[in-house]
Order: sequence, then C-alpha cells, then structure tokens
Amino acid sequence: MRTPLFQEHVRFHGRIVDFHGWEMPVWYSGIREEHLATRTSAGIFDASHMGEIFVKGPSCVPFLERVQTRSIEKMPRHKVCYSFFLNERGGIIDDLTVYCVEPGERYMLCVNASNTGKDLAWLSSHNGEGADIDDASTGTALIALQGPDASRILNSVTGIDLDGMKAYTFACVPTGPYGELMVSKTGYTGAGGAEIFLASGHAPKLWEELTARGAVPCGLGARDTLRLEMGFPLHGNDIDETTTPLEAYLNFAVDLAKPSFIGKDALARQREEGLSRRLVGLLLEGRGVPRQGCACEKDGVRVGIVTSGSVSPVLGVGIALAYLDKGVAEGDEVDVAVRDRALKARVVHPPFTGGALCIIPKRT
Amino acid sequence: MNIPDDLYYTENHEWGKVEDGDLRVGITDYAQEELGDIVFVDLLPEGTAVSRGDSVGTVESVKAVSEVYAPVDGEITEVNPALEDAPELVNQDPYGKAWMVVIRMTDPSAARSLMDSRAYEEYVKAEAK
Repeated sequence: MRTPLFQEHVRFHGRIVDFHGWEMPVWYSGIREEHLATRTSAGIFDASHMGEIFVKGPSCVPFLERVQTRSIEKMPRHKVCYSFFLNERGGIIDDLTVYCVEPGERYMLCVNASNTGKDLAWLSSHNGEGADIDDASTGTALIALQGPDASRILNSVTGIDLDGMKAYTFACVPTGPYGELMVSKTGYTGAGGAEIFLASGHAPKLWEELTARGAVPCGLGARDTLRLEMGFPLHGNDIDETTTPLEAYLNFAVDLAKPSFIGKDALARQREEGLSRRLVGLLLEGRGVPRQGCACEKDGVRVGIVTSGSVSPVLGVGIALAYLDKGVAEGDEVDVAVRDRALKARVVHPPFTGGALCIIPKRT
Repeated sequence: MNIPDDLYYTENHEWGKVEDGDLRVGITDYAQEELGDIVFVDLLPEGTAVSRGDSVGTVESVKAVSEVYAPVDGEITEVNPALEDAPELVNQDPYGKAWMVVIRMTDPSAARSLMDSRAYEEYVKAEAK
C-alpha cells in the first residue's frame, strides 16, 4: 500500500521499505541527520498510514467509555488524549489518541497503521451500544511537523498560530489551498510541533510547501530514534496484548476511577497484587547497541528483556527500553547480552534527553 | 555508486586491495549506503588467524548490525585504529580512511578468486532488483 505522499518520498530520494504492508521511507539523507534536524530545527514526517476512525451518534459516549481507558464524558471540545484499547486481561490491543470533535456527538480515534484492521474488527464486535463507526483512514493523510521551528514554518504556510494553542489540543482550520486542516498540538518526537490531518488529495501540496520553507523530510528510522530517546513506547515492540499499561508505566492514560471499561478489572487486580516487571530505560555505559530481544542479567541472574534499542543520535550511546523484574531499581547496573558480549547498562527513567517540549505527563 | 577498478570484491560487499602478500579489507560504498549511519565498528585484534568467510568484525548502524567477513585465509596483521572513535569514516570514505583490517594471505594468489569491479557491479545490480 502507498500513502498519498508516496511520490514525494520518491522525489526526495527516500529509501523505501515495507512497513506492515506500507511502502514507507526509512530515511532520506540519513537517520542521524534527520533526527538532529527535528531536535534543532524542524522535521516533517508522513504518518498517513495511521488509521483514523470516527465514532459518532447518540450512543458514542457510552460505547467509547467502555472500549478505551480514558474518561471522555467531560472531555472538552478540541481536546486530545492518549488512551488504550485493552483486552480482558488488561493487555494492550492498541494505543491511540482520542480527539473530541463535538462533545457527546463525534470523536476521532487515531490508531496504529498495522493495527487499524484489527481495531476496527474489535470495535465492531464490541459495539453493543450501536455507535456509528466510520473508518476514514483511506481518505485521510497525516503530516507530522515537529521541532522548534515547526510553529514558524506552519505559520508561514497556513497562517495558523500554533504557539497560541495548548499542548494536547487541536483546531479545525479551513484553508484555500489545502482544504480543512485538523491541526493537533501533539507528536511522537518530544520536539514539539504539530500533527496535521487533511484530505489525502491536498497532502502533496502541503508537504511541498512545508519542505520548501525548510522542514526536513524524515523517515521511519528517525521517527523511531526520536520516540525512543523520549521513552515513548511503540506498540508491537514495547507494548502489546501481553503487557499492561501499569507494567509500561503508562498509568496516566488509564482512568481507573471511571465505572467500567474492558480490562479494568484485570488492571485493578494487578494494582492490588503488585507488578512483577516494569518497562524501564537502559543507558549503555560503553560502546555497543542494544537491540530488541537482548536478554538482561543482574549478578548473573536473568532479569528481563530489551523491547526497543538503538543508539541515541543526541547522546551518541546505546539506549533501550526493557522489561525488568521489579527487584531491579533505577540506578542499578545490568548486563545486556548483545551477541556474544555482556554490555553494562544503567537503569534509568526516560526520557533519555530533554526534548524541546516534553508533552507526555509525568509518570507516577 | 563508487566501485574502484583496482580492488577485488566479495558477495558480502567487502573490498580487498592487494599489497604484496597482504590484503587490505573494508566494506564497499554500496554496503555503507545500505547500512546507513555507522555508529560502531568492532574488529578482531591483530594476530588473529582467519579463514575465508570467518567474521573479522561487526559494523553497526542505527538500524542494523552487519558482519564483516574475511575474503581470504590468513592472519590479521593490522587493524584500523581510527574507526573506534570515528566510525562515520565508513560512510565518508569507505575505500580510503575506513579500511578495516590487513590480512596476510596464506596463499598470495587467493585474491584472484574474488570478483573484479565489473563482476561486482553486475552482482550489485542483480541484488538490487
């Protein structure tokens, strides 16, 4: 499958790879250069492969209250929140952002590309309330403009004042050349900026204008190293149907106070019984790169496994996210088995670097 | 893509330059392009005996890790000390400053069994398809 920006990726000499069936650029000039551009000026990312699902109608609120983990009943218009679909065991079917388009009437869910089909089937099979579910993924493009210069570039192209918006809100702005833009002050890089939803047909023109004003095209590689530096989890790597939000330190996105949602009982039980493992950060002390699947040991005893690993382009050292047994504390040293070597790493609390704007709420 | 005429090549994208009975070894321009930004290079020490196809080290990029294989039988007599602190040389100058090891060949004629530049160019074209 191709996004509406595929020709732009070709034009910018993107190296195209298969990503869950999507032909996407992994990099253009190089991961490090793109990563640093996003941290110091502005990067532009095609995220059009992600899914956009609208949930509408009189029963949309009770339905959404039951199938995702945030309380949306009092969510104000044009607010965004990070949330989960959970299974009955509290495992994460997908992580998503919920957009309140019209309170009580209309919400948009932005879900992971590789999970869109699965999510839609799951939502339909749990739709006892009879909410109106509309998959708008095909006709919707998503351009992420991230970095300290994102606001200036977006303003110069569209006149939109991102600085005047609060983090985790969005605005629907009609424009002549690009149709209606849904501009959300969110992101997956920790560098600040916006995510812009728009009709697929308008996407190439907006991409051209934003890049012409200096936004540097960035591929999936930089998207991954940027999110990893911030400690943001990636579904399929760090979180999945066998891990819970509590184990992943993502309690902030679960409202255990709301009456009921799928997976709540399992989470309440887990909270009562205590966690056996937690998702933590690892900062390598020497050379080497930890990778997904590397085993972790402490004093010769296996204590966990790496779920995402790379090298931080900002720090120049290996960093990772790993599930470690609860007995391992922040500040401890563990050995990460990278091929035939045991590399020393320090257990830390992400983010690994300070982004220009860290909008993920403090973890508790 | 740069494929110098005066070098020999392997199917794993190493290059070798014959210097008397020695073979200076690195990875090709195509290989560094495929790997992307190189962040670590880790090589076996001088004095290690290797057979053709043995790993002489690893090259690690942001996205992936790749082995470097000995193109011939012999003994490692030199290891490039610059790559430990400047792995990015592999991206910048794969055939020059980023040579990796020198192997004293057990059979000084062994390099002739490797691909020449024309054969390697064809090989890369076929692989890219």
